[in-house]
Amino acid sequence: MSARTARPSGLKPTWSSIFETGLGARAYPYLMVLPAVVIVLGVVVYPVLSGIMTAFYDVTLRSLNSGDMDFVGLRNFERVFADPNFVRALQNTVVWVVLNVVAQLGLGLALALLLHRAMPGIGFFRSGILVPWVVPSVVAVLTWRWMYDPSVGIVNELLVKLGVIDAYHPWLGDTATSLYAVTVESIWKGTPFVMLLLLAALQLVPKSILEAASMDGASGWKKLWYVILPQIRVSFAIAAVLTFILTVNNFNAIWLMTEGGPLNSSEILFTLAYKYGFKRFDLGLASAVATMLFVGLVVATTVYLKLIQAREED
Amino acid sequence: MTAAIFSHDSRSSAAIGAAAHNRSKALRKILTYAALWIAFVWAVFPFYWMIATSLRAKDEIFQRPPSLVPHTVTIQNYIDLLVGAQFWRFAMNSLLLTASVTLVSVLISVTAGYAMARHRFKGSVVLPLFMLYGQMFPPVLLLIPFYAQLRLLGWLDSLWGLIPVYLSYMLPLCVWLMRGFFSQVPHSLEDAARMDGCTRWQAFWKVILPMAKPGIVAVATWVMIHSWNEFLYASTFILSEKNRTLPLGLSGLIGQYTTDWGVLMAGGVITALPILLVFFFLQKHLVSGVGGGAVKG
Repeated sequence: MSARTARPSGLKPTWSSIFETGLGARAYPYLMVLPAVVIVLGVVVYPVLSGIMTAFYDVTLRSLNSGDMDFVGLRNFERVFADPNFVRALQNTVVWVVLNVVAQLGLGLALALLLHRAMPGIGFFRSGILVPWVVPSVVAVLTWRWMYDPSVGIVNELLVKLGVIDAYHPWLGDTATSLYAVTVESIWKGTPFVMLLLLAALQLVPKSILEAASMDGASGWKKLWYVILPQIRVSFAIAAVLTFILTVNNFNAIWLMTEGGPLNSSEILFTLAYKYGFKRFDLGLASAVATMLFVGLVVATTVYLKLIQAREED
Repeated sequence: MTAAIFSHDSRSSAAIGAAAHNRSKALRKILTYAALWIAFVWAVFPFYWMIATSLRAKDEIFQRPPSLVPHTVTIQNYIDLLVGAQFWRFAMNSLLLTASVTLVSVLISVTAGYAMARHRFKGSVVLPLFMLYGQMFPPVLLLIPFYAQLRLLGWLDSLWGLIPVYLSYMLPLCVWLMRGFFSQVPHSLEDAARMDGCTRWQAFWKVILPMAKPGIVAVATWVMIHSWNEFLYASTFILSEKNRTLPLGLSGLIGQYTTDWGVLMAGGVITALPILLVFFFLQKHLVSGVGGGAVKG
């Protein structure tokens, strides 16, 4: 108390002293969070609510201009369920998400375990393996599209040379392979981030535990299963949920390689909603699909937050 | 129980095979390096292929079969790309947009993150979670309301209209990350400054901010990278060619029938370059910042 009254002469009272006492002191934290809260309310909360509302209205470009929209209840949802493209997109989304999450987590864990050791040159490998994460997504997708080129693509050439295929194949142009071809790109792009998350978790595992396990003669696999995985399980789960969210929201890969085609063979719910909205300009229909995605993501996010809390309690 | 059985097993076998131990260790090392090299080549190859394509002559690009190493190296594709005024226009647009979004989100998230980390007030527990939720909203749900709003305001096809749109998916996570960084700055520093007679604001501005600089740099970099790379919103809300950003400009180079892949890949290299430079200069901040923030909360 006395320290505050005996103010050093160098510091003059300024305008900011109004936050020191009374109302100013109480308002201070609110004032500091206010701009962020106002912006988030304006650009996130309000649009989300209005987006969900749109799902229950008949909205097209014309009604957007005139401003009168008809409430149609669940009709948009009924129309979506009746669309065979939706069923296809739903199946594709499941395949897309499962393949991406499983492969990215598996490869990410393997890479993290590989890179989590003091070996000469490990920094070089680590930097190189992070390259896909750093390359801008549009650039990466377009590069892969070029590599998949049906007539002069390097993927075809390498696979022929390795004896995997006999002749060049239009990977993105064939309904049987388009979704998987895009998935490969997405795994390539997403794995390094998973690796980073798991590497960070591995570095927090106390060395003494690993040493004790080695002393007891636990072999590599057993050490992994009984010692390492239980230690990083929460981070692993967090990485899984994040990968899930990022994969559901991965628009660029599919849009810039196939636009969901050919014949909807690589359509996921995101691109379907986009087409409903910005190709057919049936905004109500698009919002209905988006709302369903939203519900799925909210559930995933809730799980994610629970996991983070579980981790903090550990 | 199981662990005890394993330990007994391998201990006896280890005693027997002491000589074999060294050999298997060397083998393991070789296997590890082999795996590392495979991962490295897999990760870097598309990047290499982009650069290699950008340096090839036009007729060599469409030569079949493609060769792994360019026969001749030329910078013709870069010249073709850079002499057109368009590319510079796209780059300026991207630069302007990225700088504005970064400035706004850092300024706003610094104060909010600090207040959430340091002060107890109504909502100081709920707000950060609210921010994290805000980050998770699927962009496709936001697209349509944004489209309607921007249309209403006449901001469709305008770079300025993209700023609030970008803030929607930058700001929440920025606040969340900033809060994490500020909670790592020791309380005692601020208390000491206050004892010396600083006002709250002075303590924040002169003592806490400089301490939190690595975190601020990390958040700023994160925003820069994401705004620079953003494609979905820009491609939906930007209609005229003169307002395109670099990612849009690149995707616009894909032709309906033919695509000049040499020029496109040159554009890709130039678009990726600033990000790669930023990343490799700030690698340490970024990796610990974003990775740690996301995991630790």
